[in-house]
Amino acid sequence: MAIKITLDGREVECERGMTILEVCNKQGIRIPTLCYHPQVSKTGACRLCIVRVNKTMFKTACTEPVVDGMNVISCDDELIFIRKSLLNLLLLEGDHNCLYCEANGNCELQSLCHEYGIEIPPAGDIRNVRTRDVTSSEGLRREENRCILCGRCVKACAEIQMNRVWDFAGRGSHAHLTTHIQDVLGDSECVQCGQCVQLCPTGALSFQTVYGRGLEWELTKKSSICIYCGVGCKIDFSINPQGELVRADGALDGPNKGHLCVKGRFGFDFVQSPKRLKTPLVRKNGELVPTSWDEALNHVADRLKQIKTENGSDSVMAFTSAKCTNEENYLLQKFIRAVIGTNNIDHCARL
Amino acid sequence: MITAQQIKDVLETYGNARENLLVILRELENMSGMNYLDKSVLIQVAELMNLPPSAIAGFVEFYTMFRSKPRARHVIRICKSTPCHTMGAISVFDSVKQVLGIQEGEATPDGLFYLERCECLGVCSVAPAMMVNYDLHGLLTHEKIVSILSSYRNNPVADGWGSGEEIDAAQTILPRTGQTIRLLENIGKIDPERIEDYTNSGGYRGIRKALSVSPADVVSVVKDSGLRGRGGAGFPAGLKWSFVVKGDMQKYVICNADEGEPGTFKDRILMEGNPHLLLEGMMICGYATNATIGYIYVRGEYRRSIDRLQMAIEQARASGFLGRRIFGSGFDFDVFIKEGGGAYVCGEETSLINSMEGFRGYPRYKPPFPGQAGFNNNPSTVNNVETLMSVPMIMNRGALWFKEVGTVTCAGTKLFCLSGKLNRTGLVELPMGVTLREIIDVHGKGILEGKAFKFAQIGGSAGGIVGQDMMDTPLDIDTLMRQGATLGSGVILVCDETTCPVDFLLHTMSFFKHESCGQCTPCRIGCAQLEKTTMNLAKRIATVPDLTGLKTLATLMKQTSLCALGQSPIMPIETMLKYFRKDFENHCNPDYKCAACDASLSRFFTGTH
Repeated sequence: MAIKITLDGREVECERGMTILEVCNKQGIRIPTLCYHPQVSKTGACRLCIVRVNKTMFKTACTEPVVDGMNVISCDDELIFIRKSLLNLLLLEGDHNCLYCEANGNCELQSLCHEYGIEIPPAGDIRNVRTRDVTSSEGLRREENRCILCGRCVKACAEIQMNRVWDFAGRGSHAHLTTHIQDVLGDSECVQCGQCVQLCPTGALSFQTVYGRGLEWELTKKSSICIYCGVGCKIDFSINPQGELVRADGALDGPNKGHLCVKGRFGFDFVQSPKRLKTPLVRKNGELVPTSWDEALNHVADRLKQIKTENGSDSVMAFTSAKCTNEENYLLQKFIRAVIGTNNIDHCARL
Repeated sequence: MITAQQIKDVLETYGNARENLLVILRELENMSGMNYLDKSVLIQVAELMNLPPSAIAGFVEFYTMFRSKPRARHVIRICKSTPCHTMGAISVFDSVKQVLGIQEGEATPDGLFYLERCECLGVCSVAPAMMVNYDLHGLLTHEKIVSILSSYRNNPVADGWGSGEEIDAAQTILPRTGQTIRLLENIGKIDPERIEDYTNSGGYRGIRKALSVSPADVVSVVKDSGLRGRGGAGFPAGLKWSFVVKGDMQKYVICNADEGEPGTFKDRILMEGNPHLLLEGMMICGYATNATIGYIYVRGEYRRSIDRLQMAIEQARASGFLGRRIFGSGFDFDVFIKEGGGAYVCGEETSLINSMEGFRGYPRYKPPFPGQAGFNNNPSTVNNVETLMSVPMIMNRGALWFKEVGTVTCAGTKLFCLSGKLNRTGLVELPMGVTLREIIDVHGKGILEGKAFKFAQIGGSAGGIVGQDMMDTPLDIDTLMRQGATLGSGVILVCDETTCPVDFLLHTMSFFKHESCGQCTPCRIGCAQLEKTTMNLAKRIATVPDLTGLKTLATLMKQTSLCALGQSPIMPIETMLKYFRKDFENHCNPDYKCAACDASLSRFFTGTH
């Protein structure tokens, strides 16, 4: 049902049940957020999206539902002061030095600090040293001193990957993340899907593959489709100046909606491997030699015909793959049944 | 070492639903003999309960009663909250350390005692206090500590029933002359462990009366009575009940008995002294809000309250007062107990609900409010013990009778918890709107040792400081709010001329830092920063602009924190600075001498904690 609210002095129509943030996004009004991510449930913990409601109240835009007749101010001097103060607190708590951070140039905290003109915060000594675990996992690096405890990784793991490896531990200013029972990532039940890294707004979580192999602004992006299975996840690859693929992100507009599994996320080294097969090979005098597709296919067709004639259709079988699409799988069974004339068709049904 | 079979047995006893996690872990910790939960135990529990190990790890680290490293057979927790600190908690630490020859965080070589600090234990009228496992002891002196500790050398049991007599209701309630006794009427007169005593003194009449009218009528009686929440926020109870959404879904009544506000002990006395009154109040609330299940969330430190309530529930069930079609009506109602694990923030209603569900006690954003989506996302009414216990008498004697005492906007009586430098400390029941002067002079019998009054902290650590000028201000919710203070849970902590405001504020801020849950940015980082700045004042290395900094930061926290905890520090800071700015400015001078701050710094705030 449509209701009306006043947003920055303008009357705006919106749906009941929407949050202030959703209405602002729709209206093209940018509200700063850190703990909010459209792929996971609401948190309301970072408090950066606080807006002014009905003149006197401060509400977090990401959690507050709109109400008919509500008056919302998305930004004013006091709100700017509040957001600046909150950013300053975050900087006071963690070790946020962009000079040696992998997320430099790709950090939501950095962008907001830039936008709100935050300078170096006063040196504080309320910082607690948190876990640095950058070697135990083959895929992930954890530098928790850069963590702002937004909880996006916890929710990514629990709500998207359904694995629940991450959780919060400790309390108050000693709050921190834990995997398993205070174990390192490599010893936890992490399957290295990398979803937590993709959702991390800072450099607290990062990929091993990109470490030392290119800074954010040096990377070029190219979209591709994962060839591991028939789902056909859309991947945004990052390529460094040397032309190497260094990072795979799940694309939001693919069937995967931003998600990737460990194979799609990290299994792309074969693409540029010198050992990769690039032409068909035919065994001649006991040795595999490169050949053309025409020769290879003719050879296969001739031999299949020969085998079928000499030994009958049932002496042939085909085994197809989960890496193929449904259509390809259909075609192969059609070929085996209709052309070869046998029911000897099976599928590995796994990767 | 706990065996796999023992773990299975515990799970069998309590059920392996996540909502039982806290009580399961508590039981296993007790069984360990060394008061800890070994990692291997946690992993097995995770597996058997089908929970991620990370969730168990996070859960154990949230609640202060749990440790994953071995402690000792008896864990000694010494309270360092403001009431105990005012009454000399430092010397208790010194005595225990001296007697046992250990420091904080250490165990005696024989594995008998482990020493740690804690926040309010809820026995503030007999401060300074400590807890040995679940036994509470107050009015501690060096000699008493020696004798208490030696009594535990050969006694493996400390389940709360070995507490000192000084914490009993009989000794905590002050002589009743001059009081308006309503809630406390039966306490001390009846045996709380016998349901007949309660029924014979007119108990369970209120629920019968409620059942004879419609739920809407009950709500309007409670609305008419003007009963307001006694937990601290003062929200009108009837209004809250009327906000519970209607429909066929399961609804709950939740009693908030997580009394953690430093200086508060009223709910403990009420639950220990008259548990059936609470059950009756919950039944009426359940009938009014169409809820059929009630939960009492009691803080884990209150073993005796938990045991008494459990006894009362079982007796009520046996008498047919709880269960199906109670009192011959069509109304079903039953009550269960949930335990806390040592977290002040769980007194916040949504944290409490998360804790009940077996999660870390993180508050939830509102809306939705518990009345819309509370326990298990079903509509829940959360009320304080004192509020619910006031309901049966309203049903019995009517809204008009209830309003006969109190002020226009705050009807009825209020329990006040007197602690600090008074000749007499304890619990009193007085009409809303009583003055601080009457409380101190008549009921507290004046300041200890004839010293001069300096200030009183009203409403606990989240409350404000009140000076001499407010001696005659009526103490009710609205008047205090207008003055920038709060009635809160009814704490009256009185400090004399020897108290240093900076030292007092340092302990208040250290309390907030310790109890902040860490979920939202302003509270998590702000509380640590407030403590740091206050500590710099105590160390006399702060500057006068830091005082403005304190207020600015606390104001930011007030505006932006997710729950009431982070919104609270502004009140003690602002009221403290209003009265004692001079003391604070003096502390900005590096040469200023302050023995109280020196003592705290050298004993409490030496390393990380």
